[in-house]
Amino acid sequence: MSNQTNIIGPSRDELISIWNGEITVRVRIAGEGPAIVYFHPAGGLYWDEFLDALAENHTVYAPELPGTTPGDPYAIHKVASYNELLLMYEEVLRKLELNQPVGIGQSMGGMVTLDLAASYRNLFSKVVALAPTGLWREDAPIGIADLYAAPPEEVPDFLFNNPSLPSAQAMFAMPEDPEDIPAHIAQNVWALGCAGKFLWPIPDHGLNKRMHRICAPTLVLWGQQDQLLSPTYADEFAAGIPNCAVEVFEDCGHILQVDQLSQAVEQVGQFIN
Amino acid sequence: MKVLSFQQLPYRHLPKDFAQHYNSVVKTPYHELVEPELMHQDHVHFLDEMMHAARCGFDGVGLTEHSQASYDVLPNPNLQLASLAYATQTEGLNTALACLGRSLGKSKEPLRIAEEYAVIDQISGGRLIAGYPISLSYDANQNQGIPPIETRTRFAENIALIDKAYNTPEPFQWNGQFNKHPHVNLWPRPVQPKLPVWAPAVGNPNTLAGILDRDQVFLYLSWFGPKYTGRVFERYWEIAEERGRDLNPYRLAFLQCVAVGETDEEAHREYAPHVQASFNSGLGSIPPQSLGLPGYMDIKGVEFIAKDPGDFGLMPKMRTASYADIVDAQCCIVGGPETVKEQLMELVKKHRIGNLALMVQHGSMPPELTKKNISLLAEKVMPALKEAWVEQGWDKQGWEHKWWPTGLNGSKQV
Repeated sequence: MSNQTNIIGPSRDELISIWNGEITVRVRIAGEGPAIVYFHPAGGLYWDEFLDALAENHTVYAPELPGTTPGDPYAIHKVASYNELLLMYEEVLRKLELNQPVGIGQSMGGMVTLDLAASYRNLFSKVVALAPTGLWREDAPIGIADLYAAPPEEVPDFLFNNPSLPSAQAMFAMPEDPEDIPAHIAQNVWALGCAGKFLWPIPDHGLNKRMHRICAPTLVLWGQQDQLLSPTYADEFAAGIPNCAVEVFEDCGHILQVDQLSQAVEQVGQFIN
Repeated sequence: MKVLSFQQLPYRHLPKDFAQHYNSVVKTPYHELVEPELMHQDHVHFLDEMMHAARCGFDGVGLTEHSQASYDVLPNPNLQLASLAYATQTEGLNTALACLGRSLGKSKEPLRIAEEYAVIDQISGGRLIAGYPISLSYDANQNQGIPPIETRTRFAENIALIDKAYNTPEPFQWNGQFNKHPHVNLWPRPVQPKLPVWAPAVGNPNTLAGILDRDQVFLYLSWFGPKYTGRVFERYWEIAEERGRDLNPYRLAFLQCVAVGETDEEAHREYAPHVQASFNSGLGSIPPQSLGLPGYMDIKGVEFIAKDPGDFGLMPKMRTASYADIVDAQCCIVGGPETVKEQLMELVKKHRIGNLALMVQHGSMPPELTKKNISLLAEKVMPALKEAWVEQGWDKQGWEHKWWPTGLNGSKQV
């Protein structure tokens, strides 16, 4: 990959068999220390500098959404509903035998993290949601459907306040060998397709009625310039989750841990330590 | 050889610079672009022209479904087809009525579609051809809100439900992923014991295999120019052989845009602006991403297209294609009767086409010119197409058309 960032990435994987042996979930892992579980956004698991930073003094476990693991695309067809997805993730965490890890999720992963915390109240010790989906207001339309329909060259503008950052550009870098490009494109498009099963057309599965159940201390981070999900939603989460702190970053878009990496690492570090 | 007259229902009065400023689907602003009286006129002219084709002796008339689109304002084509069923019945016109069709990957009410088809078959006395497309991505996903990755699984369940509803005499229960019914028991049932099914598609190998396995007709919608996309026909017949189907030319229907004048010169002069506007502001103004939202197409299909986008022919440049580009790619065959005959006959013979659906109205074309096109096709082109069938020796091979409406008594072909 041609990028100017220096990402260390995961050091090992665990394959967890769930759903009565029907599905194998790959969990990518890095670091040593107290456990963090990270749930990725719609584009699939992209290991970035934020995860590297967390792994400096934690063990980061990042399960992949069924269907998004290369070589196993049709696992997504075995997940019939969003409710089943939550049950599956709970099973993955149970089988990893983690003792009340910190749950962190970005965008779709943020919704998953919050819903798991609302459903299994002792699952996480703390919860961090980075611009999570899951709520809907008529006066703040959600840009998911437009993101999916956008031409590739417009996608970075949806996601970043500063798409020219090397770390932002690295997310969209193509393989150096032209032979590998079609499979790379197909994998990325398919990952969005898998996530679409739970996001399309509007990712509202009723979290607004459940978030009052969350008892783990919660931090919600948002970018003021988020083009996909209005920062208005940060206030909704703050009002609906009992023990919830909110920070909104300036000069920051939807993928806030790329646009404002150091702030994100600092805020999350202070909160979970 | 069966020849159908096919039409979309575009709003015919779009501004000339439409393609530079608007997309033709999903968010196209209605009130900004439409004069209510003209939209009303277009709806009436559409039915007039379809009736003109029936009176001129076409074997059938056809149309299809698109929602939230300026190039084809037919959110439910069965509404128009019901009118045509009654009008042709009162005039004693023995014309097949082809709905090509209602999109099953989009539908949240597949039994409603089964009922509509049954009603049209009743009114027309058994003249319906039923179409079951999967749905274009923008229509199923952006307009109807179906998650893209569920489009094909929904299609598969919906077609199985409709099939069972037509073929099960007793009421039954249906417990599917998308449909749950305590009692399925259609009233009415179609007149025809087995509705002929034509399945519109653009050439995806998996889709073609499914069509052949269900023993339906593949209707190839070649908007993209058969000059470039002819390999889809070869693929279809190869898959037919692989799956043990015969090479009956009636298994294949082909939709082709045509515009006929008295001479080549007249045809180009009269039709060029309408044909160009049709492709630029219709198909060309659909954002390419809206034809394949992530998840709509299988991962292998995405990889295949990323390697080889050839099936899409002229599509990537359709928004700005010149009239010469469009005619050169055969997206529309334009000319005097001899030119059109020659090009159509070549396609028929080369690709074993048993059914031709000829699209006769394009973009801004007014009703007089549309009717002229229909009349010239019926008088000066259609007879030659029927001869092509004989020239190929297909008549002597005794191919039976198992996918043509049977009429009231179940055995006499319409």
